Amino acid sequence: MPAKKEEGKYTAQYYPGSTLPAKNRRKYLDPSYKLQKLRTISDDDLVRIMGHRVPGEAYKSTHPPLEETGEPKDPIREIVTPTPGAKAGDRIRYIQFTDSVYFAPVTPYVRAWMYHTRYRGVDVGVLSGRVPLEVRERDLEKVAKELVETEIYDPARVGIRGATVHGHALRLDENGLMFDAFRRYLFNKKTGEVEYVKDQVGVPLDKPIPVGKPIPEEQLRKTTSEYRVDGDAFRADKEVINFIQRIHMLRTIAGFDPEGIKGI
Amino acid sequence: MRKYKDVVELHDDRGSLIASNIPVQALSPLYNPAIQSIICFVKQCVAVNIEGVQGALASGSVGGKYCNIKGRSVKADLVGNADAIAKDMKGELQVKAGDDTDVKVLKGGKYLLVKVPMRRLEAGVEYTTSATTVAASLCHVLIDKFKISMWDADLVHAAVWGRYPQTMEMLGGNVVSLLSVPQQNEGMGYALRNILAAHAAMITKKNSMNAAALSSILEQAAMWEMGDAIGNFERLHLLGLAYQGLNADNLVYSIVKENSKTGTLGDVVKSTVKRAIDDKVITPLNKSGEFTTYTTSDMNKWNAYAAAGLMAGTMVTCGAARAMQHTPSVFIYFNDLLERETGLPGVDFGKVAGTGVEMSFFSHSIYGGGNPAVFNGNHIVTRHSKGFCIPCVAAAVALDAGTTIYTPEKLSGVVGDVLSEVPELREPLKYVNEAAAKLKGDF
Repeated sequence: MPAKKEEGKYTAQYYPGSTLPAKNRRKYLDPSYKLQKLRTISDDDLVRIMGHRVPGEAYKSTHPPLEETGEPKDPIREIVTPTPGAKAGDRIRYIQFTDSVYFAPVTPYVRAWMYHTRYRGVDVGVLSGRVPLEVRERDLEKVAKELVETEIYDPARVGIRGATVHGHALRLDENGLMFDAFRRYLFNKKTGEVEYVKDQVGVPLDKPIPVGKPIPEEQLRKTTSEYRVDGDAFRADKEVINFIQRIHMLRTIAGFDPEGIKGI
Repeated sequence: MRKYKDVVELHDDRGSLIASNIPVQALSPLYNPAIQSIICFVKQCVAVNIEGVQGALASGSVGGKYCNIKGRSVKADLVGNADAIAKDMKGELQVKAGDDTDVKVLKGGKYLLVKVPMRRLEAGVEYTTSATTVAASLCHVLIDKFKISMWDADLVHAAVWGRYPQTMEMLGGNVVSLLSVPQQNEGMGYALRNILAAHAAMITKKNSMNAAALSSILEQAAMWEMGDAIGNFERLHLLGLAYQGLNADNLVYSIVKENSKTGTLGDVVKSTVKRAIDDKVITPLNKSGEFTTYTTSDMNKWNAYAAAGLMAGTMVTCGAARAMQHTPSVFIYFNDLLERETGLPGVDFGKVAGTGVEMSFFSHSIYGGGNPAVFNGNHIVTRHSKGFCIPCVAAAVALDAGTTIYTPEKLSGVVGDVLSEVPELREPLKYVNEAAAKLKGDF
């Protein structure tokens, strides 16, 4: 459960809004809320899907370990602990997701906010149909595990795609899967699971990697953080609309005269 | 003249208190003598790559990439005679005995740090005087000292000045000023913004607090020159410089420290909001459902707190990853999260977030662009925020452990090596704080 608010004391609030997507956004952004684990994907299989190294292979490095090189005299380096990957000098590698507009658990922006509230030392950017996450390699593998094993990943409506990401706004196929021009994942009718047959950039895998059953539509509608007119419409959430309009107004007025804003 | 009531505590780069109750105006480029001398050093100081000139003369490789004149060569031991060259140059550059002219020989004669006397700059209107007089003087001294004939003088000119005047700047030359030629400034008053983040990081020897301070001084001083820091916007920039760049009230350092072991960017946002509430910079306005909207009666102070939080967020995120590439991501999402936490606008009222969007594309995407170390406040995608982005980039470059192909060492080269010999440029936080403390009674 997320941390409870104490009256009169500042507690992080993450996101305004009274609708279900707003509540789900708050839930996902709050690191004290433990994301529910829905499936298990082995470390090696995840490494295979990301395709940066062969399972069992040593991490390649971009610079020697910090202990070997030493660091410049800097008060900030002295107090800020490097992540294990940074300490070892790992390369910075990525995992990239495409989230379908059809009630996927998270939207691209929520994904970026969530990464920054939950994980340390991460680099994320949002594009129209994809969200790359760039992290030191061993740290990335740890983060990626949580991203694909928990409720924020749906095998059918979230794609792990390093390239040719198109499909987030296209209709789902007959099995409920988001369109993928590379056909990286297929629906196995026998097991009812989605299987990756290619890694995130489309290189064929030696054997299919099952990533679990698609989450049912009713469940997705309850856990999604997406506003949709056929679900919870963005315009129906007055609190969020007020917030957006307020920020727009304050940015504009402050840009004209910052001293002109008093208690509004 | 006391214009603003604001007073701040001055702290060093490790968070130790230097002085209390200092009027924030003591940190203004209009009053602080250390900031003024930093700006003077930037105008007056030129780095000369003597080893580079020697190599160019010997090989005939002059004027930048792919320009190699076969059969042209002048063999001369410039590095071995650097002391004599320096002495002769000083004689040429000096205007009055005992004036502020200085020529220092560095790294066993490989480089010179030349300080052109202010009197020469005052006799003209452009800051280019420093680079032009040093380049010209060096040519004269070399021709005299090494008895170079009229037929090889052109090679000396090209080895020193590079491809200029065929190019606007001294392309491939060996005389480098921190300031680019005026034609390369994006607009009026952009000179101090046209300095790579890599330079700030290397001049301060990768001390991230000082890199931030130097970059913030240059960026914010430019605001006075650009016509931004005047009237009801002067205090915005003054507080921004104090809190984001100069660790006023120890805001940056203390927020970093609070989140130094396990903190995320989200945690830094929370620390910033908490500090703003505790210091009564923001107060609750109303509550709708579960969401409390905050307000402020001092938007400039809120902006300064947010800017300090942004710096701390950069230091925690890029510090944890020991990598510079996270800066645009911090620019966007620190502000997004801060706005969603408070209902108040982010740093520079949305301009930092917007800059982050463009910078992330130019530093990550299909476009390529370059790593954060090549950015400056004059860059087409980072000039929009008025002084609040580049100091964070400089700090991030200082924290990078070597993740980029074009390293700050490679990009900054001679400039970082040579100008770090100037104490005020290397440790600006110390000198600016000391100067501000002395000004305490002047307002």
